[in-house]
Amino acid sequence: MEITFVLNGRAVVVDVEPTRPLLDVLRTDLGLTGTKQGCDHEGECGACTVLLDGRPVRSCLTPVGKVTGRCVQTIEGLGVPGDLHPLQIAFIETGAVQCGFCAPGVLMAAKALLDRTPDPSREQIIEALDGNLCRCTGYARMVEAVQLAAARMRGESLPAPWAERSVIGGSPLRADSIAKVTGQAQYVEDVVMDGMLYGAVLRSPHHHARLVSLDAEPAVRVKGVVRVLTSADVPGKNSFVEYSRDEPILPPIGETVRMIGAPVALVVAESPAAAQAGLASIAVEYQVLPYAFDPTETLRADAFPIAGEDNVLTEFQVRHGDAAAVLAESDVVVETGYDTAYLEHAALERETLLGYLDEADRITVVGGTHQPHWQQRYIAQALALPQEQVRVILPPTGGTFGGKQDPWPFLAVALMVYHVRRPVRLTYSRRESFDASPKRHPYRMGFKIGATRDGQLTGIHVRILCNTGGYDGHGQYIANYALTASGGAYRWSAVDGLARSVYTNGPKAGQFRGFGTAQSTFALECTLDELAERLDLDPLALRLQNILADGDRSFLGYPVAETMGYREVLEAVRPHYQAYCQEVRAFNELRSQQGEPLRQGVGLAGMWYRFGKSGSLKSEAHAELAEDGHFVVYCSAPDYGQGTNTVMSQMAAEAMEVSRDGIELVNADTALTPDSGIQGASRATYWVGGSVVAAMTRLREEILGVAAEMLDVSPAVLSVEHGRVAVRTEPGRAVSLVEVAREFDRMGKRRRVAGFFDLTPNFLTENRPEYVPFFVTGAHVAQVEVHLETGTVRVLRVAAAHDVGRVVNPLDAVGQIEGAVLMGLGAALMEEFIPDHTTGLSDYYLPTAQSLPEISVHLVEVGGKFGPLGVKGLGEAAMLPASPAIVNGLSRAIGARLRTIPATPERVLEHIHRSRVVR
Amino acid sequence: MTDYRFPVSVEEALDILDAHAASSTPSGSGSARVIAGGTDLILDMRRGKRNPACLVDLTRIPGLDQIRVIGGVVEVGAAVTFAAIQEHPYLRQHVPALTAAARSVGALGIQTAATWVGNIVQAMPAADGAVVALALEAEARVVDRDGAVWWSVEELFLGPGRSVVDSTRQIVTHVRFPLPGHSWGTSWQRVGRRASLVLPIINCAVRIVLDGEGIEQAVIALGPVAPRPFRARQAESVLTGQRPTDEALAEAARIAQGESDPRSSVKRASREYRLAILPALVRAALHEAVRRARGSER
Ligand code: FES
Ligand code: FES
Repeated sequence: MEITFVLNGRAVVVDVEPTRPLLDVLRTDLGLTGTKQGCDHEGECGACTVLLDGRPVRSCLTPVGKVTGRCVQTIEGLGVPGDLHPLQIAFIETGAVQCGFCAPGVLMAAKALLDRTPDPSREQIIEALDGNLCRCTGYARMVEAVQLAAARMRGESLPAPWAERSVIGGSPLRADSIAKVTGQAQYVEDVVMDGMLYGAVLRSPHHHARLVSLDAEPAVRVKGVVRVLTSADVPGKNSFVEYSRDEPILPPIGETVRMIGAPVALVVAESPAAAQAGLASIAVEYQVLPYAFDPTETLRADAFPIAGEDNVLTEFQVRHGDAAAVLAESDVVVETGYDTAYLEHAALERETLLGYLDEADRITVVGGTHQPHWQQRYIAQALALPQEQVRVILPPTGGTFGGKQDPWPFLAVALMVYHVRRPVRLTYSRRESFDASPKRHPYRMGFKIGATRDGQLTGIHVRILCNTGGYDGHGQYIANYALTASGGAYRWSAVDGLARSVYTNGPKAGQFRGFGTAQSTFALECTLDELAERLDLDPLALRLQNILADGDRSFLGYPVAETMGYREVLEAVRPHYQAYCQEVRAFNELRSQQGEPLRQGVGLAGMWYRFGKSGSLKSEAHAELAEDGHFVVYCSAPDYGQGTNTVMSQMAAEAMEVSRDGIELVNADTALTPDSGIQGASRATYWVGGSVVAAMTRLREEILGVAAEMLDVSPAVLSVEHGRVAVRTEPGRAVSLVEVAREFDRMGKRRRVAGFFDLTPNFLTENRPEYVPFFVTGAHVAQVEVHLETGTVRVLRVAAAHDVGRVVNPLDAVGQIEGAVLMGLGAALMEEFIPDHTTGLSDYYLPTAQSLPEISVHLVEVGGKFGPLGVKGLGEAAMLPASPAIVNGLSRAIGARLRTIPATPERVLEHIHRSRVVR
Repeated sequence: MTDYRFPVSVEEALDILDAHAASSTPSGSGSARVIAGGTDLILDMRRGKRNPACLVDLTRIPGLDQIRVIGGVVEVGAAVTFAAIQEHPYLRQHVPALTAAARSVGALGIQTAATWVGNIVQAMPAADGAVVALALEAEARVVDRDGAVWWSVEELFLGPGRSVVDSTRQIVTHVRFPLPGHSWGTSWQRVGRRASLVLPIINCAVRIVLDGEGIEQAVIALGPVAPRPFRARQAESVLTGQRPTDEALAEAARIAQGESDPRSSVKRASREYRLAILPALVRAALHEAVRRARGSER
């Protein structure tokens, strides 16, 4: 049917099925890919927001027939580079864009608001943005951005709020934000290649089953199906190699599948519909096996075997001193049991990858991940190819939080391209992402901690069961991280800790922001709060009193190696803590007098987070003086929204002592960039940043050396400036960088140099522990309000302090922390993946803009000993103290301890009924 | 290919529905179907629950986008969205339960498309629009070939997702509700797993009419506590003629709890939790409605 409407001011005609979603017509038929899709056309994310006659609508729920004759505005019509809308400018300037996947929808919603309400209140802004999910920013920057844009549009001339801040390498503004706020950034979903095919995955509908037979024949005959692939089609190793030791790419006949969503076969087809039809006609026979989701159950002697020895994947132990004896002699012992839920990363961009053969005929996969070089290696082994014949490229990525570390989709896409020799795109549906992507491990934790009457910590006894689900999925390392985090930056005289990673038939668990540390930090910091209550001590004082000092034996049995500004972060939150406490006392007195069913509480929590590495302590990056005189940095520090592109350029600029615009960054493309090692966000700045600084410093020295020869002066009087090297002592005397580059070439000198950040000499392999003991610390305070009759909870305010060593990018650091606070809030109060029940964003409750508390962030700078420019790690760690601070505040508000999260209204109400204080 | 039509009158819309009804199979395929906001229908179609040959879009029929307040009655057309309801100055001031309920449906980007009438026709037991319609004692104008009949909204609900209205041949053109003559107030209460963009665990709408110091009439509507949006009639009747004391309102809330029969949902809340919070919501709603009935604002 022919449909005419006005799109961004111009009339367009499309000939389409009128019930198709406007979203699809915009993205596919009209090629406007700025409007995003974050859910399965179900209205649950807001990424697809466009304006219809000036009002925001969900374009995924709008049949295109409905827009006949009406005006549609999309992000492409809001403003273009060079002519940005004030909202777009403000979003960039306030750091409201991280991965940027939500930005087009949020910007359109904000525009609709400002068009009608030029002077909106904070509440009105939150209401307007509410329902547009953002997983990265925590909404706070966005609210600030809308306020700024509104003021400017009313004629106030306001400077960029962060422009004044002098930062490393000049401006803190993100290099790639312009593309993201204009809808021009090409996420994988937005890329179409000639002859591109569509991949789809047949997945197990059973929690636990044996694959008895599989007949692909009927699927091959489906029109449009190009190829069906099963385990027999894997030419090399049918595994994830060391990443996930027991997970096949596709299960051989006779093997078991151990979770719903486990992949069984692949279909490649000319269209998504043909691929689905292909899936439906594959005949599979399963023998259904008993299943269980609870590790306590799968550990029982009579449990049905899932994998490993007795269903245990790995275990990790820490023991020093005689904890049993120390606890027996302690004045008080607090014994607790804490439980956490499966969490889904729910990055707004679903898993989407594109594979093709590049110009050198390499199997190339473009996709968001944390470690392109690892993926390259796994693919090479699966396809039995030399590593050079595989290439992995990191595109703009709509968030991962650890979820996109899973190698499976990379292996699947590579396998499909290997067989069909044509471009193939694989996009998970949101439902599929929920079913099959790795989750955060649920933990069951038992703590026993002892103390003297005056609050001196004594012994600690910890037992942790980490539920790894049906597969390893990197859960082999989780036990180590779980236990390490459970001791905190405190002095213990005796430790007895044991963590085990246990199989169940829940979804496979894997990397999730904080890699297994958030759960045990939660339990420890809540248990400490219980101890403080028992001893009637101030929880802040209790922590200060027990801080691990430099050189002290840590929970792990040896001293830590980096500075840890734990005292400083605790002091930084003290004023907030005291102010909140005072306010809450007054509030509660008044409410109880008036008989009103509202109570508030203040919670405090700290954390330590290990960002030290195992294995090689060496990281590599390259720096190049290009022919035209600009600088190019080559490194692998994937930017999936957290801002490493910007941070790396900043650090490079700082090392070269030039401004950032003269620097080009080539990041995370295995064909072009060196392997800089695995990135947790928290490691990139320290390790990769270190090698970037080293490479740039070395290049600078070489440039100065050559220029000194050319100018016949000492290198000491030279400085690198805009496009030239100048003699500081003689104004006007200089040589251009183009000439310097030419001189390099004439001399036969390489213009590209390698830089290494290598701590191997500092930590000799023989006497260092498995992971070098580097830790960062942080503390959060939360003011929480509870409704005593319904158990509903609101977090009113959060103060967050983190030791970052040295601030590289204040805007990004604050944004990371705010985002982490909201994620911690989600984990504390609402998020829970329930196997067999949770299906997607309609029943996995992510925080919306209405959840946003007032957040104050403090960046504490206790310079690091080894890192480049004094920096340490941050991004993942910021999430850790948020959940325990909120749960401590909540528990204090009601006078009963919540020990299972999320603290749903139902769980909270049960505890209120049990509490003696408020009833 | 599905046909998509914008009739310019209710007459024409009925004609289109009829034309398809003649050629449709008994299972309903080949039929035409009414669409307003479409936010539910499009989801149902995607999930294969509906498969109409033609969509008859009501939103451009002149007049159906109107909210009219005349002669002690508020009349809301089939094309009126939840956003339009929220923004209506009279409703904001006088029927806050309705504007608050309108704000509870999904998120703004859904409220700008979804209509009150459509929400009622969907007949879901937790539908915010349906529950508030009960409390307002709303009626719906159902039009078909035999003419127009005003039905009490409550009578439209047959079961979860099942309505008396057959959208392949009937059209609800308007919803209307009476404005009590004097001293009345409304309230809307709702609890969900998060503050917004979520289905309710319990929602509750109340309308109180006072006669001097006593309650002349109380209407208490609740969802999802029964297969249909539910009126707590026993609780209502004990309040009739009573003074709205704390005790009386609390007692009514307890009775409403006794009348309710909610179900457990692993993803939202258990039956026990729903029953546990229900009296608090009803009590809060009654108190607020009484306060509003006494004051100038409603
Ligand atoms: S894609 Fe439209 S709301 Fe998610
Ligand atoms: S920046 Fe909002 S989802 Fe990533």
